[in-house]
Amino acid sequence: MTINNKKKTSLIRPNRRLFLQGTAALAGASALAAPSIGRAQSKELYINSWGGPWLEAATENLFTPFTEATGIEIRTVSPVSFAKLAAQVRTGVYEFDVTTLGGGDIVAANNAGLLEPIEESYPGGLFQNGVGSHAFATMMAWRTDAGWDETPQSWADFWDVERFPGGRSLQRYPARVLPLALLADGVAPEDLYPLDIDRAFAKLDEIKEHVRVWWTGGAQSTQILRDGEVDMIGIWHGRYFEAEDAGAPVDFTWNQAELDNAYWVVAKETPNMEAAKMFVEFATSAEPLAGFVSQANYGALNPAADAFVPDAAKPRMPTAPGNVEQTFGQDMLNWGGDPQEVAMRFDEWLAS
Amino acid sequence: MGFKLSTLPDRQNIWPWLLLAPLAIYLALFFLVPLVEVGIMSVTEPPPGLANYERVLTGSLYRKVFLNTFGTALLVTVCCLLVGYPLAYLMSTVSKRAAMAILLLITMSFWTSFLVRTYAWMVLLGNNGPVIWLMQTLGIQDPPPLLFTRFSSTLAMVHILAPYMIMNIYTVMQKIDPSLIRSAESMGAYGRSLFRHVYLPLTAPGIANGSVLVFVICLGFYVTPVLLGSPREQMAAGLIGNQIEQFLAFGLGSAMAIVLLVVTLIILGLYHRRFGLDKLYG
Repeated sequence: MTINNKKKTSLIRPNRRLFLQGTAALAGASALAAPSIGRAQSKELYINSWGGPWLEAATENLFTPFTEATGIEIRTVSPVSFAKLAAQVRTGVYEFDVTTLGGGDIVAANNAGLLEPIEESYPGGLFQNGVGSHAFATMMAWRTDAGWDETPQSWADFWDVERFPGGRSLQRYPARVLPLALLADGVAPEDLYPLDIDRAFAKLDEIKEHVRVWWTGGAQSTQILRDGEVDMIGIWHGRYFEAEDAGAPVDFTWNQAELDNAYWVVAKETPNMEAAKMFVEFATSAEPLAGFVSQANYGALNPAADAFVPDAAKPRMPTAPGNVEQTFGQDMLNWGGDPQEVAMRFDEWLAS
Repeated sequence: MGFKLSTLPDRQNIWPWLLLAPLAIYLALFFLVPLVEVGIMSVTEPPPGLANYERVLTGSLYRKVFLNTFGTALLVTVCCLLVGYPLAYLMSTVSKRAAMAILLLITMSFWTSFLVRTYAWMVLLGNNGPVIWLMQTLGIQDPPPLLFTRFSSTLAMVHILAPYMIMNIYTVMQKIDPSLIRSAESMGAYGRSLFRHVYLPLTAPGIANGSVLVFVICLGFYVTPVLLGSPREQMAAGLIGNQIEQFLAFGLGSAMAIVLLVVTLIILGLYHRRFGLDKLYG
């Protein structure tokens, strides 16, 4: 069973896995084949999935090869939930063993003790008990049918509703949005961190009434760009290419695109620890990672993977030469404030 | 004999209660226990004490969101009533077969998933959707944006909740004895005065039941306002979700949930004193 009795709280939370395992335990008690059932349980690994193109690429390049190599079946659980990760550790009932976190969340998760200590599977790959998987970008994209005479170049243009009139959209996620506001206000990328929080909010005031949607899900961002609900958007690059591939009249720039790293993490004290750690090591090793990032257009964080990435995949990768020079990175350890407090302030700002 | 009757419950009267036991146990396990946990979380996390409640009750954001939640629920209830009352009246006057056909049309929307209905409104009201297209064809330059406004979220919620209102009112209207109307007419009540003094009071229980159901369900709406509404008009459920999902603020989220629950119970209590909750079931 996956109930960890050491935890203080013992919430009764109905949960598919617990139910299945409870049934399995009952079946085991009544049959004589109990040991084989016990073994069968450790042959499954539950992974929190982002769905969409991420899941396709992960299934083909990470999950299936891992199962072939180890015999451990992989089941996916949606949606990706930071809160669920916390609830699991709190209740001792695990719905997933492994998940990915971005730079903003991993620091908070590690500070809250939600992450299992893990080994560095390639040199320089360890950050806050997560192993670096891939980079993704938040970049500026727009509708080419918006009727503007010029092409927007930078976040300053995103803020310029005189030259580029039309609806805007940004992610409802201040850790990514505040740096964009500062760039629009003329701060150089190398001087961003620590962030001048007050200045960023002052700049956000200027664009607030033009932001029609603060998107919260990747699929939602693609939809509002593809359907022309807004004319300019700060969007994850993978989600942008989805809209482009669907034939929408859209364009983008790598200039001032904001790089974010995704890390594989293991849920603290999960009963599937061994398989979980094996998977993280596998998923960040050169060849599987190269296949995954090539299919999903991410940038591999393990440099050894580069050798296996075909040239044809590179133009859509934010970390490829020619693209990466135009981007800027995050510095979560020198962020300029407590991200949680800033996020609460952002919420209050949004409603005011 | 009399002594026995007053202390020991009649054997036959125990049965109905025993039949309720599975439901009672189910509710206790899966509803009451988690609810108590939520209550405990709201006063123990992160520091033990009432800090979370202080924040929820005094913070400008929370006050604004709660006011908006109750305001929206009220608006949706009134809209449902304005849409539902005439429709229920129509159903009560046409033939049984026609009434069934209308009822089928209304309940059909229940068979469609909640998310699908919400996305359908996105398609209809979008910048490239049929409504904007019609406005442009009719010569309206620069039609106002419909999506991601208070208008679009209210419209979608009314669409989802109107059946509750209609069915409640229809049930009451159906039971009205036609001879009451005829005798009112014979006493000289016509048109507006017939409606105001006879028909409306007779249908009042249906209005009250439908309104309280729509209002209470609307208070907890999550997906529709998040996907269709304006970012400035958040509802409580969305904010609670955000507190927990983004900030892991389980205590604060729990406190908000408890406040929402208590206010809802107060409203139900007022309703009970005025109309009686038992009327909801029949």
